[in-house]
Amino acid sequence: MHKFTDRRASLSLLRRHVLAALVAGAGTVAFSPAVFAMAPKDTLVIGKPADPQTLDPAITIDNNDWTVTYPAYQRLMRYKQVDGKGSTEVEGDLAQSWKASPDNLTWTFKLRPGQKFADGATVDANAVKFSFDRLMKLKQGPSEAFPPHLQVTAVDPMTVQFKMEEPFAPFLYTLANDGASIVNPDVAKRGGDIKAYLSGHTAGSGPYRLVSWQKGQSLTLEPNPHYGGSHKPHLRKVVVKIVPEASSRRLQLQKGDLDVAEELPVDQLAALKKAPGVKVAEFPSLRVTYLYLNNKKGPLANVHLRRAVVDAIDYKGIIDGIMLKQARQTRGPIPQGMWGYDANLPMPAQNLKKAKEELAASGEGHPTLVLRYSTQDPNWEPIALTAQANLAAIGVKVKLEKLANATLRENLDKGNFDISVGNWSPDFADPYMFTSYWFDSSKGGLAGNRSFYSNPQVDTWLRKAATLSDQSQRVALYTKVQEQVTRDAAYVYLYQKNYQAGMRKDVKGFVFNPMLERVFNVADMTK
Amino acid sequence: MSWLPIVKKRLFSLVLVVIGVSLITFVISHLIPGDPARLIAGERATPAIVAHIRHQLGLDLPLYEQYWHYLVRLAHGDLGMSIRTHRPVLQDIRAFFPATLELALVALFLATLIGIPLGVLSAVYRNKTVDQVVRTISVTGISTPAFWLGLGLIVVFYGRLGWFPGGGRLDQGLAPPADITGFYLVDSLLTGNIPVFFNALKHIVLPAFTLGFVHLGIVARQIRSAMLEQLGEDYVRTARAFGLSRMTVVVHHALPNALIPSITVLGLALGDLLYGAVLTETVFGWPGMGAYVVESIQALDFPAVMGFAVVVSFVYVLLNLVIDLLYRWIDPRITGVS
Repeated sequence: MHKFTDRRASLSLLRRHVLAALVAGAGTVAFSPAVFAMAPKDTLVIGKPADPQTLDPAITIDNNDWTVTYPAYQRLMRYKQVDGKGSTEVEGDLAQSWKASPDNLTWTFKLRPGQKFADGATVDANAVKFSFDRLMKLKQGPSEAFPPHLQVTAVDPMTVQFKMEEPFAPFLYTLANDGASIVNPDVAKRGGDIKAYLSGHTAGSGPYRLVSWQKGQSLTLEPNPHYGGSHKPHLRKVVVKIVPEASSRRLQLQKGDLDVAEELPVDQLAALKKAPGVKVAEFPSLRVTYLYLNNKKGPLANVHLRRAVVDAIDYKGIIDGIMLKQARQTRGPIPQGMWGYDANLPMPAQNLKKAKEELAASGEGHPTLVLRYSTQDPNWEPIALTAQANLAAIGVKVKLEKLANATLRENLDKGNFDISVGNWSPDFADPYMFTSYWFDSSKGGLAGNRSFYSNPQVDTWLRKAATLSDQSQRVALYTKVQEQVTRDAAYVYLYQKNYQAGMRKDVKGFVFNPMLERVFNVADMTK
Repeated sequence: MSWLPIVKKRLFSLVLVVIGVSLITFVISHLIPGDPARLIAGERATPAIVAHIRHQLGLDLPLYEQYWHYLVRLAHGDLGMSIRTHRPVLQDIRAFFPATLELALVALFLATLIGIPLGVLSAVYRNKTVDQVVRTISVTGISTPAFWLGLGLIVVFYGRLGWFPGGGRLDQGLAPPADITGFYLVDSLLTGNIPVFFNALKHIVLPAFTLGFVHLGIVARQIRSAMLEQLGEDYVRTARAFGLSRMTVVVHHALPNALIPSITVLGLALGDLLYGAVLTETVFGWPGMGAYVVESIQALDFPAVMGFAVVVSFVYVLLNLVIDLLYRWIDPRITGVS
């Protein structure tokens, strides 16, 4: 019918026909309805929003990574369980006994026999030395919790000795930290970069070991066959599944594809509380939120103005309105649940009359303050807005500046702010974390003293407390410190947040430890 | 003109593109205030620890020296080490990029598969009900936010009906196929692993549809206008006068001609799909580059961000080359480089 003399044109038409037939002949792909089975009884599936960054305990400072590293490694010390609850007290894990020299500079640990790494090798003094030497040599974030120039010696295969240049009272507590994990020294024999290997593998003696990591999807843990703990873990598999979207995590939990869903926003948790088959585990944490007031420069160097700010803030409004009551107000720097907490400190409360008196006493007139914040924590912005409104009520204007978190950190470190807002959670279970870090004048900036508070008397008390081994003497000093710093209105203490996680009702045995947010005691858990 | 000069020219421009992209990303990464060493060390780290890490990463060198070192390594195929994950960037990209590319290609396939017939119907039944419906679909596609559509699809097809899984690339407990191309659909077929193929297919449908829905609208509209143009041409009238059926004229004559400009649109769409997969990947827990890049940006992990930009530009230019060649294959009258 159609004759084409041009061969190329006819070929071209054929190609176009092929293409047209391909696309125009669209069919539909039929899918059979699938049954998405709930996770098996001996498998626990934990859903979290993001992949771990690195699994190297000497490098990670992120609790999100500890979900995997903590159960894969053991440490010399571990946090105790008291009456079925997590405590901030520590007891021996790999360490069977220990002794400090009278000057508190030498600590000797006897190791518990029969503890084995996942490859069957024995955990001995050499492994402890290897791990701490590596930690201190790498000099990354986790090393910061330990005394500098820490010397470790393997006295005999089951005895290890630590020597430090100055007494460091919280030492035993730091040994339960993730950074103190004992790594199998055989990783050095593998050749290649140990850091690269440990960033993606585990090499510990904990109850579980990592068997696979599909990046961005899931990590699978299975029991360490040589685990030397008091009982064998019940779960044959622990899967950490990455589900970035909060509502998807909630939906998968409800459908039974997940057993535990982490990091759910308050509204999703409220919805979950009504859902069948699911419970919301809720515990007071040691993560505190507070306002930094610049004690060093600007109008807030004036103590009366700082007191005016402390009296003007609507604490109850923040906890009820922003935190939906999922937080507990704090009295001072040391939160409830940490030893050294002072229940006699007055609970801060909004008192506009007193705030105005302090403002008048400051002689600053009606100053303008700059409040810098980021949205790293979604609660910070509403807190900043509340502070702005509260201070406006006493005639102090607050200029809000929202910054990228990295930029905010730079400003905090350099003291470029009048007010800012932040969170703090302890690395080790010692009031040192909430006092020496926050008030020692040598730690100004991001290191911890973010208000740049400076008081030689407080410095003396803090430095003395850090060298004492008698807890009651230390508590006495920390009580003095807390009274002084609250009188000086160094910070505005807001609240300690509740830790919440959604769980299937059949998940049993979870014990929350306030030192180990996002870590699950999987060796004790069942379904 | 054979295809070789085009390939040569494109490959040469590829080198320039890579240098340009790496330079721009490098400059931008370093303009952002913030110290990656501080982020790695943690907020509480002492200045000594931060300085140590900065030195290890080479961040204490002058900027031009840092960039020069980067270029030299790049020339050796080394994208550097990720500041955040402590793994080679290439290894990370190798793990995440195939997932994104597979998703983008399937999304493009779906957009084409559904968009073209819709566009044709719309043109043939111009201003009739069918046309109105298709135009409504197109506008909805273009204006629906991906995260909203994605969540809606999850709620209905996973939450209520249970037809499709709620996210990820494979069911829990199912081992991925042997890594050949990194595309689960292809690798499972190559290794004859049919259960994995169907499982992967089930997992990709909702995210690919979500990602492709915008482009479905664009393709349908593009085809509609191209078809309207073709249907008004003399050759269509002549063909009809010869007694050819309407169906034959539309499918065999008008559509092939209308497809040519659409190829360009599809080429551009692929770039959009590669960069635009972030939200879709987040909603569906799709382990692609999206989450990796966002987390890298937040951690000021510039080797990872630069690596991503370089690799995506590289792939984008290569795919456009393929499309150019395809263009010439479909219509040999086109001889130059488009």
